[in-house]
Amino acid sequence: MAAAVAVRRRPLPRHFSRPDFVAGIRDMTPPLIGIFPFGVVCGVAAQSVGLSAVEAVGMAMIVFSGAAQIVATQLIAAQAPVAVIVLTCFVVGLRFLMYSAAMAPHLKPLPARWRHVLAFVLTDQAFAAAIRRFRTAAQPGEGASYFLGTGAVLWAAWLASNLAGYFVGNVIPAAWSLEFIVPLCFLALLVPALDDGPTRVAALAAAVAVVVLDPLPMRLSLVCAGVVGIVAGLAAGRRGGSSQRGGG
Amino acid sequence: MSGTAALWATIVAVGALNYLSRLSFIALFARLEMPPLVARALRFVPAAMLTAIVVPAVVFRAPGMLDAGWTNPKVVAALAAAAVAWRWRSVTATMAAGMVALWLAQWALRTWVI
Repeated sequence: MAAAVAVRRRPLPRHFSRPDFVAGIRDMTPPLIGIFPFGVVCGVAAQSVGLSAVEAVGMAMIVFSGAAQIVATQLIAAQAPVAVIVLTCFVVGLRFLMYSAAMAPHLKPLPARWRHVLAFVLTDQAFAAAIRRFRTAAQPGEGASYFLGTGAVLWAAWLASNLAGYFVGNVIPAAWSLEFIVPLCFLALLVPALDDGPTRVAALAAAVAVVVLDPLPMRLSLVCAGVVGIVAGLAAGRRGGSSQRGGG
Repeated sequence: MSGTAALWATIVAVGALNYLSRLSFIALFARLEMPPLVARALRFVPAAMLTAIVVPAVVFRAPGMLDAGWTNPKVVAALAAAAVAWRWRSVTATMAAGMVALWLAQWALRTWVI
């Protein structure tokens, strides 16, 4: 009986690594300078279409995705049918399916509640940072704790920036171009990922595809370019005979 | 659409579908064995998706307005940041170098080109 209780209490400490959780928070703090202006824009948008403060914060808390919030806000203002709003936001977030698949092998050894919590904080930024940490982690709990740290700090900053935008408005001067920090952060995580020929082919193909497909609606160019890049990478890996290195 | 209840229903529905997209394959491949082709393909997700996010943010001056030349300060800044990322592998140094390069390029263009 006592053993059963002990086992039930153990899962979190067994997988939770405090140093990795703190490292996740620390690594995600500088990029917040760029994420903050984006959250402010979402807060301003929610305020301008007449959402109440509670609704605006509720949306930021529940949806936790800048692109989906902007789209939802615009469609709510246009009085679009609920089904249209929900489906459009789903299409805008199609790349999350890819992130989810890429994260799956790393989260498989963990208890289900870790998977359920970490899925909620699976954003572009947390994915890009955490997938890198998982590759060097000795145990899945280390990568998962790091992931949890990045997700927690992003979620808190997201709420704060949405609130600031709602109540204070656009106080950050546009001339500072602080939003450019977000692509710079992704660039910093992208460059080390280009560690062999096939990944470089994948990146190059995705770069060309995302520019060519830019006219597509609902940000479909993003996820389509991702698929083009993955297919190009697979083809390059097969031709170059380096596919044995894959699977990670 | 009218009323607070309908608005909350929309917010919750958007959030729920958003969460289900994020959970989808994490939950599926926790139960099922992953096909080998999918496992090989996943290696390319970070390189392909991060490129797909970064490139439009750099080469478009405004939505639909492509400018991948030297007169676009964001192109200059991204190249400088990529060089720093390649050499030092530091996220903070890359962001700092990119922002300084962006501000310098914006200033230089204002001063000499226009």
